[in-house]
Amino acid sequence: METLNYLIDGFGVALQPHNLMFALLGAFLGTLIGALPGLGPANGVAILIPLAFTLGLQPDTALIMLTAVYAGAMYGGRISSILLNIPGDEPAMMTCLDGYPMAQKGKAAEALAISAVASFIGSLIATIGLILLAPLLARFALTFGAAEYFALFVLAFATLGGITGKNPIKTIMAAAIGLMIATVGIDNTGTQRYTFGVLELYEGIDFIIAIVGLFAISELLFFIEERAGGGKPAMVVNKLKLSWRDIVAMLPTSFRGGVLGFIAGVLPGAGASLGSFISYTLEKKILGKKGYFGEGDPRGVAAPEAGNNGASSGALVPMLTLGVPGSGTTAVLLALLISLNITPGPLMFTQNADIVWGVIAALLIGNFLLLLLNIPLVGIFVKLLSVPPMYLLPIVTMVAFVGIYSISNSAFDLYFMVAFGVGGYFLRKLEIPLVPIILGLLLGPEMEKNLRHALDIADGDWTVLWSSGLAIGLWSVAIVGLILPYLVGPILRQRMKGKSGVGD
Amino acid sequence: MALNDRVFGVLMLVLAVAYGWGATQFPEPFGGAESVGPETFPTVLAVVLALTSLYLIVKPDPDNAWPSGSLWLELIIAVVVLIAYTLLLQPLGFVIATTLAVGTLCWRMGAAVLRAYLTGLVAGVVVFLLFTYALDLPLPWGLLGVLETS
Repeated sequence: METLNYLIDGFGVALQPHNLMFALLGAFLGTLIGALPGLGPANGVAILIPLAFTLGLQPDTALIMLTAVYAGAMYGGRISSILLNIPGDEPAMMTCLDGYPMAQKGKAAEALAISAVASFIGSLIATIGLILLAPLLARFALTFGAAEYFALFVLAFATLGGITGKNPIKTIMAAAIGLMIATVGIDNTGTQRYTFGVLELYEGIDFIIAIVGLFAISELLFFIEERAGGGKPAMVVNKLKLSWRDIVAMLPTSFRGGVLGFIAGVLPGAGASLGSFISYTLEKKILGKKGYFGEGDPRGVAAPEAGNNGASSGALVPMLTLGVPGSGTTAVLLALLISLNITPGPLMFTQNADIVWGVIAALLIGNFLLLLLNIPLVGIFVKLLSVPPMYLLPIVTMVAFVGIYSISNSAFDLYFMVAFGVGGYFLRKLEIPLVPIILGLLLGPEMEKNLRHALDIADGDWTVLWSSGLAIGLWSVAIVGLILPYLVGPILRQRMKGKSGVGD
Repeated sequence: MALNDRVFGVLMLVLAVAYGWGATQFPEPFGGAESVGPETFPTVLAVVLALTSLYLIVKPDPDNAWPSGSLWLELIIAVVVLIAYTLLLQPLGFVIATTLAVGTLCWRMGAAVLRAYLTGLVAGVVVFLLFTYALDLPLPWGLLGVLETS
């Protein structure tokens, strides 16, 4: 009942006119970001963070807007999957399988509408799951001590690559690099570390600059390298012919997809890609010969979309309750929280209850807004899709510059951003994942603080880190998370690849 | 060949050693040494990075193809444009610098010259007006400063 009261308060926050307006703006921008090729959700949210700052938005408004962007990006990813056979982001890959064939058969509008409804249902189920699960998990997390938190952070890094991740060693390496960057600056004993006497480094490296550089600038360089500036011709979208019966027929599929996706989103190391993959595979198994999957079965569109939207809302559970994000985009949302001076984690549910529940309520409202936006406005998104990347990416880069510049008006930050971009390009070439670097940057100070507390209490005895049952449990999961990709990773990747045929 | 990972592994090993050595050079914090000082966490990180670098040197992944000569040039041009953009943002002002930077990038990515710079100009003017008047966040006027007072 307590939860319900909080939720009602949350609606009170989310329904304030200006919050509602920013949620709508966020949902629109998010769909756009998700739909445009070359502008993934993590990238898009990262570019918008400095803008949210410079606008001087209230914490709750900023968070509501960017959560709406996040939800919108997941909706938008499907548009380019269906129309161009290019997934906007990785989880949208499975949507290509039946979405693109449907579009080729002249049923693009139906595919878009069905996937919008499925996304809505998937998100809705997962948001309800979030409302039920998050307070419980937050209460449980209050029992964590410093040692448990340290183990939890290790777990977050270990499972970040996901079960489908390629080389866990590179994930650890990336995490170490990120954590090392985070140690630059004056630490909390007042010692200068790795500042080399440069004044600008005393306060440490601003992770927003690093995130925007790593994502946005490296993306520009990748597009130049692939000579992909021309883009692809857009599909013509037919007039929508969809009856209620068609939508109702999708409901069981969407429902199953949403539940599976939510579970995949909450679990460490699974993530949205696996969510959509499992939902699609299960649906194919259940329907067996009755379906015509791979040739434009609408259920093949509904299942992965419900799955990936379910997973993306599910991924907010560990981010909000433990302060440990499980994906790139939730990591960027965490960056926003930290820069708003909100300490993520279980205490947030008591100390900043209005913000947390406002965001959750905004997620629910955002869902309805997205559904309303997506069905009638799909034509606008399709038009924008045909803007070739050679115009789009330079403009996006410029917006990133303006955002960073407007935070501090300093050229130093811009050089830093470009440097991070070039670094990001090389790291991506070497297949060093960027997300652990960002997570390292974000979690570094907290991780060190917890290590320090744990060791100080135990008087320098390192075994304190794995002395409680809970800590041992977390360490075990972390180790399993590192070893499992070696065993099942190749098999799973093979199957996902074999099915989608998109490959990259 | 799997040279990339090996080279990167060696570079990171050097970084790990330098970083670890750097940690031993921190002055002792005021109030004497504690069980956990400013050097503890960096030392752990240096060890982790050193171990993973060694692994990469021993067991590298196959290489990704690097861009060919002319593509390198394009990439370098792009980076130079970004640096020049930063450099010129204040003196030339936002609109002119943006026209040049966005225009050059569009052009190098394959747009026709005129359309490329026109895109830059329009984008620059729109963002400038939006920021200066709608959002109240002033961007540098630069050479166009004469217009400011009029």
